Amino acid sequence: MGIKTIRLVLGYLRHNLMSAMAYRGAFLLQVFGMILNNTMLLFFWWVLFNRLPSLRGWDLTGVMTIYGITAFGFGAANVVCGNSFLVARVVARGDLDYYLALPADPLVHLLVSRMSLSAWGDMLFGLGVFLIAAPGQWARLPLFLLLSLLAGLVIVAFSVLVGSLAFWVGNADNLAGQAINALITFSLYPADIFPGLVRVLLYTLIPGAFVGSVPAELLSDFDWDKLATLVAFSVGIALAARAVFRWGLRRYESGNLVTVRG
Amino acid sequence: MTRYGFVLWTAARQQWTYRAELAMRTIQMALFMGVFMALWTTAFGVSGQAELSGYTVVEMVWYLAMTETITLSSSRVFIEISEAVKAGDLAYTLTRPLSYPFYQVANSLGNSAPRFLLNLLMAAAVVGLGMRQVAGSLPGLLAFLGTAALALLLDALVAVLIGLLAFWIEEVMPIFWIYQKLLFTVGGLFLPLEMFPDWLRRVAEWMPFQFITYVPARTFVAFEPEFVLRAVGGQIIYVAVLTGLVIFVWRRAQLRLVVHGG
Repeated sequence: MGIKTIRLVLGYLRHNLMSAMAYRGAFLLQVFGMILNNTMLLFFWWVLFNRLPSLRGWDLTGVMTIYGITAFGFGAANVVCGNSFLVARVVARGDLDYYLALPADPLVHLLVSRMSLSAWGDMLFGLGVFLIAAPGQWARLPLFLLLSLLAGLVIVAFSVLVGSLAFWVGNADNLAGQAINALITFSLYPADIFPGLVRVLLYTLIPGAFVGSVPAELLSDFDWDKLATLVAFSVGIALAARAVFRWGLRRYESGNLVTVRG
Repeated sequence: MTRYGFVLWTAARQQWTYRAELAMRTIQMALFMGVFMALWTTAFGVSGQAELSGYTVVEMVWYLAMTETITLSSSRVFIEISEAVKAGDLAYTLTRPLSYPFYQVANSLGNSAPRFLLNLLMAAAVVGLGMRQVAGSLPGLLAFLGTAALALLLDALVAVLIGLLAFWIEEVMPIFWIYQKLLFTVGGLFLPLEMFPDWLRRVAEWMPFQFITYVPARTFVAFEPEFVLRAVGGQIIYVAVLTGLVIFVWRRAQLRLVVHGG
């Protein structure tokens, strides 16, 4: 990634945040609404672990760590790359024209040109849950941030991969949405609770294990080999997403839409 | 009343036109039920008990199939209402010979009906195949259909109330998230109320949310005429309370409505 791309990303971050602050009340409502929303999701596990001591080695602390990493990663992905879940829609509508006409990497430009405001709530929730999950978590904060950002990278890359289907099948918005939904759903559950075949899927086709379970295991029981596998997978899927998007671009047909961007 | 019936019927027919897309959306149901079957089979296996809080694993999974059927068919009409409020389109609807909020309630029920049918079929197919056992009974199914209809009416009234809040706040989505998570938790979407700690169960039993998810699902898996009668009574009381609230909020909202000519 060149200096120019980094400046583009930072410029959009600043611009999007300033736009959000223009409607401060709505922004804060979305952030706190999301924090409350996510907190209530943990209720299920709290009740369940009141009844059972653990599930195949996972207890409430372990599940809270999964939530912390997934929420922070999901939040970071949608704060920086707020368009990642909308790739299929942009392609199908022919809205890529705007990005192709400018001298910046079209994929990066497309991804960073929008910011999800509620995603700030996900990030804050993720960080809070991680710090509350177990005492003495501050020491592991740098590792948490690294693992969460890797999780975010997997989410963005997977979203680009399924969104790029629109280059071939046209209206893939619904299909991409379902696939992303599946990734997030599976990420929030310990991979060990699933039967063998589903578990294989979670490490391959719907890589939810690399978003939630694997980083959470690394936080509680660090292992260099496992970290290397996670880094290799995250970088690999990001490169694959980039390659597939570029491959798809060759098939892209302009929508000839005249749009005005503020 | 006939007019509202016509609105409901038209909305249902409109949804049914896109039944292929609706069927695609039921993939989400298959995904959720797959996760729940794996989770609860593991949980019951770990506990070594045949029953948890009076539910067998088969009953638990069928309970969740029914709560998910209702939730995934629930109303999104608040989006339409809040957008109409923000865009000023509401002015056009005021000239119709119908009360706008109750027009939206009928519209919401019409939208929910085809989705409810397809979700129920998908849930029954996935859980039936996955568990190879059926819970419930024919009277339970009939009582479920009745209580689920009242549940969707309650949900539509809540959705209209959320939509009308757009007169006072810019973004109603966070309010919807909170409502949705109240269904997840005290509504018994993920866990039957019997699994809650006693103090929380007592709180949940007085709230309207259990009448939307817990009551119909419990009616299906453990049919008891006395419970059904009490539950329907509670649902009707809350329908009356929410209807009154919708009328009150709509009157206040109209005072804030400014229609410019042109």
